[in-house]
Amino acid sequence: MATFEVTALRQAFGGREVLALDALAVREGARLAVVGPNGAGKSTLLRLLAFVDTPLSGSIALEGRRVASAADRRQARQRVTLVEQRPYLFRGTVLGNVAYGLRARGVSAAEAGERAAAALARLRLRELAGRDTRALSDGEIQRVAVARALALEPVAVLLDEPVSGADRAAQHALFEALAAEQGRRPLTIVFASHLLEDAYRWADDLLALHQGRASPVTPENLFRVDLAGGAPMQTVSIGPLALEVVTDRKGPATLAIPPDEIVLSTEAFHSSARNVLRGRVVRVAEHGAAMRVTLDAGIELVALITRKSFEEMGLAVGGTAFASFKSVAVRVF
Amino acid sequence: MSAPGGEVLGIAVLSLKIALTATVLACLLGIPLGFFLGWTRFAGRRVLLALLNTALALPTVVIGLLIYLLLARRGPLGVLGMLYTWQAIVVAEVVLALPIATALSAAAIQAVDPRVRRTALTLGAGTLRTAWTVAREARFALLAGVVVAFGRVLSEVGAALMVGGNVRHETRTLTTAITLATSQGDFGLAVALGLILLALALTVSVLIQLLQGHGDV
Repeated sequence: MATFEVTALRQAFGGREVLALDALAVREGARLAVVGPNGAGKSTLLRLLAFVDTPLSGSIALEGRRVASAADRRQARQRVTLVEQRPYLFRGTVLGNVAYGLRARGVSAAEAGERAAAALARLRLRELAGRDTRALSDGEIQRVAVARALALEPVAVLLDEPVSGADRAAQHALFEALAAEQGRRPLTIVFASHLLEDAYRWADDLLALHQGRASPVTPENLFRVDLAGGAPMQTVSIGPLALEVVTDRKGPATLAIPPDEIVLSTEAFHSSARNVLRGRVVRVAEHGAAMRVTLDAGIELVALITRKSFEEMGLAVGGTAFASFKSVAVRVF
Repeated sequence: MSAPGGEVLGIAVLSLKIALTATVLACLLGIPLGFFLGWTRFAGRRVLLALLNTALALPTVVIGLLIYLLLARRGPLGVLGMLYTWQAIVVAEVVLALPIATALSAAAIQAVDPRVRRTALTLGAGTLRTAWTVAREARFALLAGVVVAFGRVLSEVGAALMVGGNVRHETRTLTTAITLATSQGDFGLAVALGLILLALALTVSVLIQLLQGHGDV
């Protein structure tokens, strides 16, 4: 059964639509990453899934039951919890904070304390239990907030940019703890991130948002352009580059070049690809059996290639490579 | 006017009794009212807040006059026979302190980080627990409002004179006694009473600060 099923969900603030999601199903036990740039609607979606905000229209079902009324939302909040991007810890001790939600569920003080201590231990925060929340670092606040959420043993935990500002080791520790939690019991995890690397590394499913809508492509290689129109094959300027695209659209648009449509080579070659860009490899990240190679060609382009190709070409950070893609591979929306 | 030690003590105790009673009553009414104004959003809320802020600047003699007219023998509440009693001073001081307690509580609640409410909700707290959590986070600002209200009623003289009448052994407070002593040229006594007033204010402030210090559990 799906933990969340979203249908025709709309949200608007001050008359401006900030989210329009036609459908989304998050299966039980999933690790869904919601990715997109700032303002894409990630936090809005998470707050709706956490049932702290009311949508303008549309519906969300939690474990097959539609959550419609204020009473439904109140009940649903007992089963789902959200860790905000800048979590707030109440005045008092860390243990008191982690026990808060359990106390709100009517758990006795003694049992809430024990369960809170256990949740802190699972996140290796046992030594912080008696600490005043005002004496914590930002990273500690974030981890305590995650412990506070997991102490409730929710069916789903929603995390808004859970590793923003954290160093590599802290990020790793946090996601390891979440994975361990999923090993203990059924838990659906939805996390928002503007860093695709996190999403690809930790999620098993991905929702890309762009201006409040589900984007057909990941938010890599997205460019805002102004199309001149007039011809089916247009030349578009992006920074210092001119790309050829096939579209009959005119005016402002977003171009997307899917990373798996880009061919990398160590030399320029003649092919049907209308766009060939020379650049320098600036980042390389593993993605399962594939490699995500970021090329600075005047604009940053991400290409997805097999590990075998990567090794055979002898690509490395700082090296030169050519990116080729067809005009018809460039999506316009 | 020269008062023996026992009488001065009586005046100080009465002043404290009136100030504490008025503060407690004003806060019992004002804090929930201020919480409501700071917590909810409804049409006319801004107008109410503006009126409340205006009431903060209400001259004490105007309040004294209003309460006098209400409690006077021929006034609407004349049958209560409260005029020139210490209870009449309490009524006037409550009217004086109520806008302070309300406005400062509303401001304290409004100043609470909006994440507090959201966090409480995401952790499954109901409306009451969420409200209590918000109040807990605002407790220092709320206590500051109590201190301001107490200071205002303890130092008030105009309304106390008008509705209390400065009756010896009955409604003479520290401030009205200071006024009388000054008008009679007994500056030594006036200064002594003033020092007692200051000491009382200081003691209460220190006590509240100590409470704040121990409240963080």
